[in-house]
Amino acid sequence: MNDSGFHERRKAERMRDTEFRSEYERARSEIDLIDSVVRSLDELREHKGTSKTDLARRIGRNPSSIRRLFTAQSNPELRLVVQIANDLDADIVVVPRKKTPARQLRGTDRAA
Amino acid sequence: MAWSIEYYEHNDDSVPGADFLDGCPAKIDAQFNAVIDAVAAAPPPQFSGGGKWEAMHGRMGGYYEIRLTGPGREQYRLFCLLENADAPELRRRGLNSPSIIVINGMRKPHRTTFTDRDYRKHVRAYGEQHRANTPRRLAQ
Repeated sequence: MNDSGFHERRKAERMRDTEFRSEYERARSEIDLIDSVVRSLDELREHKGTSKTDLARRIGRNPSSIRRLFTAQSNPELRLVVQIANDLDADIVVVPRKKTPARQLRGTDRAA
Repeated sequence: MAWSIEYYEHNDDSVPGADFLDGCPAKIDAQFNAVIDAVAAAPPPQFSGGGKWEAMHGRMGGYYEIRLTGPGREQYRLFCLLENADAPELRRRGLNSPSIIVINGMRKPHRTTFTDRDYRKHVRAYGEQHRANTPRRLAQ
């Protein structure tokens, strides 16, 4: 029986490469952020009791495009994400992160 | 429940998916790993993979691909199958849990296309072999 053992061992080996590790962490953070936005919209849609078909009709989209979006069958298009947020009476907000000591240090390095 | 990530092993003991990743630039390899880990952590049908994980259609129906762009706009693709069934059936296949199976990858210059022969030879042939193996033959 398998349980990701090969994958985890290979990844642990690759993580020793700093270029791999930093890109993995950057990419994972970006992916998690995108996934979080789309899943939040889908949860809000469900909470409001709006079907995917109704949502599609209200924003003038094909129902299949909404189904594909919420089931990761296609690339999320920002315009569609914004249209859905508008229809669900929600905002897409970008919040600057608080600076971490590491970022402040990098900023100091650049300034020096 | 998170899914397991497994790699198809060919009958000559090679692991095409891992061999492909080993030949990718480090950043591309890292991005493939990040996408597949995200999908395994939040598996279908929910949205996952940051838009880089896509279902394929037509003759490639049933396969999923991760689509990345590398240096010089070279295109990288990693092809996977999903294995999901009830517990007895998964055990029969040699799996502990629903799994993402990494089959193989391909790369191509920007603005070129893979032919159906490419897909058949480098992806579907392996995928069919994988599904013909019970229990599944997986990299250890």
